[in-house]
Amino acid sequence: MNPVAIGPGQLLLCLLFVGVAGAASVALRLHLERDLLWGTVRAFAQLFLVGYVLDIVFALDRPLLVMAVFVFMVFWAAHAVRGRVRDPQIGVFAPTFVSMVVSYLAVTTVVTAVVVQVDPWWTPQYFIPLGGMIAGNSMNAISVCLERLLTGLRERREAIELALSLGATYREATADLLAEAVRAGMIPSINALMTVGLVSLPGMMTGQILAGVAPVSAVKYQIVVMLMLVASTAIGSVVVAAVVRRRCFTSSQQLILH
Amino acid sequence: MQIRLDNVGLRFGDRSPLFEGVDLVVESGRFIIIEGASGCGKSSLLRLLNRLHEPTTGQVLIDGAVARASDVIDLRRRAVLVPQTPFAGPGTVRDNLLWPLKFRANRQHLHPTDAALRRHLDSLLLQDVGLEDEARTLSVGQRQRLALMRALLLEPEILLCDEPTAALDTVARTVIEARLESRCAAGCGVVVVTHQGLDVSAEGVLRVRLQADGLQQVGT
Repeated sequence: MNPVAIGPGQLLLCLLFVGVAGAASVALRLHLERDLLWGTVRAFAQLFLVGYVLDIVFALDRPLLVMAVFVFMVFWAAHAVRGRVRDPQIGVFAPTFVSMVVSYLAVTTVVTAVVVQVDPWWTPQYFIPLGGMIAGNSMNAISVCLERLLTGLRERREAIELALSLGATYREATADLLAEAVRAGMIPSINALMTVGLVSLPGMMTGQILAGVAPVSAVKYQIVVMLMLVASTAIGSVVVAAVVRRRCFTSSQQLILH
Repeated sequence: MQIRLDNVGLRFGDRSPLFEGVDLVVESGRFIIIEGASGCGKSSLLRLLNRLHEPTTGQVLIDGAVARASDVIDLRRRAVLVPQTPFAGPGTVRDNLLWPLKFRANRQHLHPTDAALRRHLDSLLLQDVGLEDEARTLSVGQRQRLALMRALLLEPEILLCDEPTAALDTVARTVIEARLESRCAAGCGVVVVTHQGLDVSAEGVLRVRLQADGLQQVGT
């Protein structure tokens, strides 16, 4: 079954929805007209841009280009993490970016090569959307995890320094805290496993169903994706938290944060 | 074991130096009392000896070797710090006492039996404290003695105590002072930082006063 293609006329018709929202804004004096207009223009522009770029990437079918798109997506995910964590003392961007690239590359490759068994493993049509979902999802987990870690290091400074002064390594002194931080980051994606399908149908599955894929087939993909997200969240959080934690101590096991 | 401060100074950020030109030799079997006004940097000086800080100027030598090049974990295992604020972690009194023995550096120590822990507690006038009691429910004075006992269980070569008797009554103070003296007599180096003085009569006790321009000897 082929999906019904949306033509330019139908797309323009959708502007009526924005028109309805705009009318409501005028009638109720919400002063949202400008934002609505700007938001609509941006959504059109950004999505078409991505669409055409992906068209080109799919057509060229080059592994390096696929990797470049992947790294570009992860870059913005790491940028978003930095924006949210924003620590005055510890730079989180570089360690987050590098750890994300390495761990997400590993998970995405396992999914395409071993689970879905796409040949070649970097086929853009699979690698880019899967990699993008990983980056987008675990971004939240990593932000929560890092916030918890850095706050904890400051709040428990006394206990951590006591452990250090009694002969603990920085790893021993902060093992509990690291576990708590990773746990805090992971809980939402585990909760998502519990409620999926009950509260809402996941976006990817919905998309596949709309594209004409049989629901059970779409479900199988969704399961792969959700389990992949749990793994990438866990690996990403553990690696990023461990690298950032290392940055909070000198090589002489002294806590830098204050 | 010997820790030597050589013309050491310490400054935090852009602030003016806490102290400069401090020379001090801490070694096994020696008792040193460091006095000084509140905020003059006594605790920071103690932290330099345990290398929780690095000096801004001068250098620290451990058994003659430059500290920065030596194993910091090994130093902290042998020269144990008892901080001023007696921290009690979650769990029982026993958990808190045995906590440092979990660290790899301290694994060579045998786990003391409950009977041995009980004797230790009693000797520090903590007869009312049970090994199963929640450590966080103890009073500050009790936690202070618990912290000292935790450090002593590691059998340090040098014991660095920050105001070890600040929260104690006269009887408990006397017990702690006697305990520190006996450790020193047994060959342990003891450094005590205090703003209220310490009543010890051990032979060769060095009393110094920390000032912005270094240590001034006030008696032996």
